[in-house]
Amino acid sequence: MSDNTQPASRQAHYNSQGLGPGERGNFAGSSGLLFEQAMAQTRMAVCLTDPSQKDDPIVFCNEAFEKLTGYTLGEIIGRNCRFLQGPLTNQDEVGRIRTALREESVAVVELLNYRKDGSTFWNALHLGPIYDEDGSLKYFFGSQWDVSDVYAARAEERHAKEMAREVSHRLKNVFAVIGGIVNITGRAMNAREVSNRINDRVQALGRSYEPTLDEAFLGTIEVGQAVRAVLRPYDPEGDRIAFIGNGVRTEPNAISAIGLALHELATNASKYGALTSDAGRVEVSWRHEHDRHGRGSLVILWKESGGPPVAGPPGAGGTGFKIADALLSHSHGGLDRQWEPDGLRAEIRFPLTH
Amino acid sequence: MKLILILEDEPFIAIDLKYACEDEGLGAVTAGNVRQAMTAMDEHRFFGAILDVNLGNGETCREVAEELRDRRIPFVLNTGDLNRSGEFLRAMRAPIIAKPNASADVVRTLLSHGAKVR
Repeated sequence: MSDNTQPASRQAHYNSQGLGPGERGNFAGSSGLLFEQAMAQTRMAVCLTDPSQKDDPIVFCNEAFEKLTGYTLGEIIGRNCRFLQGPLTNQDEVGRIRTALREESVAVVELLNYRKDGSTFWNALHLGPIYDEDGSLKYFFGSQWDVSDVYAARAEERHAKEMAREVSHRLKNVFAVIGGIVNITGRAMNAREVSNRINDRVQALGRSYEPTLDEAFLGTIEVGQAVRAVLRPYDPEGDRIAFIGNGVRTEPNAISAIGLALHELATNASKYGALTSDAGRVEVSWRHEHDRHGRGSLVILWKESGGPPVAGPPGAGGTGFKIADALLSHSHGGLDRQWEPDGLRAEIRFPLTH
Repeated sequence: MKLILILEDEPFIAIDLKYACEDEGLGAVTAGNVRQAMTAMDEHRFFGAILDVNLGNGETCREVAEELRDRRIPFVLNTGDLNRSGEFLRAMRAPIIAKPNASADVVRTLLSHGAKVR
C-alpha cells in the first residue's frame, strides 16, 4: 500500500488528549502509520479504551471490530465495552474482565457477546493495559476473536462423549441385570453351579466391553484396557499379572472372542495353573502382526510361570476352552495352548478385517 | 440376625444381592428409592448397606449415604457409572464396586469393609 487507499473515515486520529466520539485515532509518526495500516488490515477485531475517562469508554476500534459486532464506528466510540454483553453472557467471565482492569493485568476470557442484530458469537477477548512513556496507564487494549466455530466443535465432542457414557452406563446396567437373572434362575432351578459358570462368562464379556463403550466414538478400542478389565478380578492386588503392549488399538468386533478366551485362561490358571500359588505369575502381551500377504492379526500371548508343575492338559475344565475355540475359529482366529513344564503358554490370534 | 440395607432401583439386582446376603447368613431389606431406604432405616437397625448410586429420574443415593455415615453404619457403593458421580463418590470414602459384578463379591467387600471400620 504505497499511497493512502484508506477512506477518509478510516483515518486514525490520535492525540495525547484523547479522541472525540466517532473519530478514528490518528497515531502520529511513522510507527503511527504502520499501526493504522496494521489495524485496518488485520481480521482481528481490536479496540482501545480510555480508563481516565468516565466509565472507561472505547476511544478506538478498527474495521474488523465493526464487522464482528455489526455496529458502526459512530455507535461504538464513547461506549463502554459492556454494550456487547447480553442476558446469556457469563457474569463470572465478566468479573474476570473487571479484575483484570482493576489490577491492570493481562487476561484472556471467553464470553458470549451480542451483535447489533441480536445474534450472538463466542468472543475470545484478550485484554491488557497499555502504558505511556512515563509508565502511567494510558489505554486498555482489547482484541476480540470470534471463536463460535471452536465452541460448536467442542460442544459436539462433549455431546458425543456424553452419549457414549450414557450408552456405556446403560449397557453395564444391562449386564448387571442379566447377572441377576442368571443367578436367580440358577437358584430357583437348583443349578447354581451351572448358573455361576454362565454368569462368570457373562460378566467377563461385560468387563471386556467397558473400554469399548467409553471410547465408542473413536471407532477403535485400546486392547490393553479391555485385557486389564477382563482380568481384573483374577488379580485383586494387581501384582500377579503383568501387562505388556500399551497403545495397541483394535476393532471392537474382536472383543467378545478375546474377552472370553482370556477369561477361560484366567479361570484355568486359578484352578490348575500359576494363579493357584502365591509365587505364580502370568505375563500377558499383545501386538499386531502382519503376514506376507499384508493380512493383519491381533496376537495375544499368555505365559504362566511359577505355578505348580504342569504334567499336561488338565482333563477337566475343557468346556470353557471349547467355547473360546468355537468363537475364535468362527472369526478364522485361534487359541493355541502348549502345556510347558513351568506353565501354560497360550496364543490367541484374531484376524483383523481392516 | 444381622440386617443389610440394599438400595437398588433394579429389582433383579436387588433380589440377587439379597440372596447373596442370605448365603452369608445375613438378612436383607431392599429399597428401590431414597424414601423407602429412609423409612427402612427408621424401622430397622442395619449392620451395613449396599447402595446403588444412580436410582433413576436423577435421584442418587446421596441422602441415604449421609444418613448412614451419621449413624456410623458401614456401606459400599455399587455403581455402573463411576464418572458421573465422581466428586460425591470420592467424598464418601466408601468402597466403590463397579457394576457389573458378582453379587457375592459385593457382599464380601461390605463385610470386610465393615470389619475394618468397626
